[in-house]
Amino acid sequence: MSATEKSSSGLATLWGNIFPSSGDDGKDSLIKILKEVPLFRELRKSELRSISKIMYERNFEKGEYMFETGQPGAAMFIIIEGEVKIIKIDNDGEELDLATLSEGEFLGELALLDSSPRSASALITERTKAMAIFREDLHKLLETDPQLGGKVMKQLAVIIGIRLKATNNLLLKKEKE
Amino acid sequence: MSFKKTVDLNSDRLRRSRIFYFLLFLFFFVIGGFLILALKSLVLPTLVGMLSAYLCIPLLNILRRKGIPKGASLLILFGGFVFILFFLGKQIVDILPDEKEKLELRVQIQYKVNEQYLAFTGRDDFDSEGNIIHSIFGEELQPVIENLNDFIALTREERELFNLYSDPIQYADPIDKRVIGYFEEVSKLPYPIESEETKVESEDDGPFGLAPNVELMAGDSKIAKLIDALSTWIVLPFVFIFLLVDDGNIKKFLIDLMPNRYFEMSLTILDNVDDAIGNYLRGTLMQCSLVGLSFFVGLMVIGFDFDAAALIGILAGVANAIPFLGPVLGLGIGLVYAMIVEDINSILPFLSFDPIIGVLFVVLVVQVLDNTIFQPMVLGKAVNLHPLVVVLGVTGGSIIFGFVGMLFAIPTIVVFKVIIATIYKQLKLYYIIY
Repeated sequence: MSATEKSSSGLATLWGNIFPSSGDDGKDSLIKILKEVPLFRELRKSELRSISKIMYERNFEKGEYMFETGQPGAAMFIIIEGEVKIIKIDNDGEELDLATLSEGEFLGELALLDSSPRSASALITERTKAMAIFREDLHKLLETDPQLGGKVMKQLAVIIGIRLKATNNLLLKKEKE
Repeated sequence: MSFKKTVDLNSDRLRRSRIFYFLLFLFFFVIGGFLILALKSLVLPTLVGMLSAYLCIPLLNILRRKGIPKGASLLILFGGFVFILFFLGKQIVDILPDEKEKLELRVQIQYKVNEQYLAFTGRDDFDSEGNIIHSIFGEELQPVIENLNDFIALTREERELFNLYSDPIQYADPIDKRVIGYFEEVSKLPYPIESEETKVESEDDGPFGLAPNVELMAGDSKIAKLIDALSTWIVLPFVFIFLLVDDGNIKKFLIDLMPNRYFEMSLTILDNVDDAIGNYLRGTLMQCSLVGLSFFVGLMVIGFDFDAAALIGILAGVANAIPFLGPVLGLGIGLVYAMIVEDINSILPFLSFDPIIGVLFVVLVVQVLDNTIFQPMVLGKAVNLHPLVVVLGVTGGSIIFGFVGMLFAIPTIVVFKVIIATIYKQLKLYYIIY
């Protein structure tokens, strides 16, 4: 992240009027993007606003890693703009491209469940702006607003279920080949 | 843009960011250090406000879970906080002895100490022959008693004040005749030995302001002192309420300053440290409250009056935050009161203790309760410190900041231990260090 961007976003949190951010604060457009994320599809606008309060904005430069294989997972990322490549190094040391994710897509959702090590790395291929949700913040939300927290967790379970089924199908297909 | 150019640009940015953050850090360090030194009197109220807010966060979460909106929850908490601050504060001030009562207390303590000492050594006065204890330990005990007498004895000005308070013509509520009798007895003793000037000076700094303040009696305005105290302690409720109102903005501010590489690690560190310190502080508060309450109940049972039991309970509870020394302080205060108390009636008629034995018994029971139930239940083994660290910490704290230093030494060491241990563990987990 560039120094100017980071300092303006950091300082503006506490002293918004001393270091004003230029133009639109982007809250409405963030809510719109969040509404499109499958994890939050069930949420009302007011609930999305509550969720956005526990999100951290991060800006990544091309070539940076969002996270790396083996590190303990702590947060899920939603891409607001930019492009991220999910890569894995196989046993022969070769880099495998698993997926390329862009605006509106999310990654690292398993970190919302526990701190088990990341199974792949996320490499930034285009300058990226992302919103991150920290696991413990979501767990605290479950305590203070169980209804909202419950909705997110339920949707998370559904998404993980779908991805598990897709993986099983892929595995079956591979075995048949 | 070619890859090499991007890398060059990035390293340039990295260099500039480093300079910027270093200067920012230096600026805050210098300004922060200067402000802490210049506004020393604001440090304690700010710390207490922060601590209170920190301890109240789980309460706020409980209220919000019950469906109470955040604004209303804050109002309830702030109301409770103001109630505790003013109501309990007033109660404690009412219980605390005033200038006249302090003089009475000291005369009573001095008289009783000598009476008990003489009885213990089997003598009628200081010149007579004593029992076997006196013949064996007399020479060792004598200087201790002399020092104690010297410490408690009234100075010349205080004796004049005492005489003033004893005069039924000038005061509607003069000092009790029994205490006047004690005063006449202790006045015959050759104390204090040291010069009057040093005596007044050394006693002005007594803990809790319990030591008599002759200046105050001499006409120094109480209102001026009250306004002075209010002007610094007024920050406490503001710190309290703003920290509770804060919707994670302070945390966001800190996290935003972190480079991407350390982002997830910083979140985990902040959360772990917050958990560990929160549990420790809430546990300690709970443990101290339970110890204080047990003291209060125990002393009420053996027949202390409500005010004395409450005051000793509060003092013993607060002192309990200081390892090793806390229980000794509780015992000391209890014993001093047991010595001077005249009529003691246990609320349980079948218990007729000598008050000193009663206090010893209560302290023993409270210690057993603390070690077997309170500590394991509320503190667990989350933050174990080596006894040597505890002893050095408490001693060091008292050398640097006096009583407040003693009180805050262990929590401060625990906070640093948790922060360093967590950072170390996470740096390794994220492959940042070996």
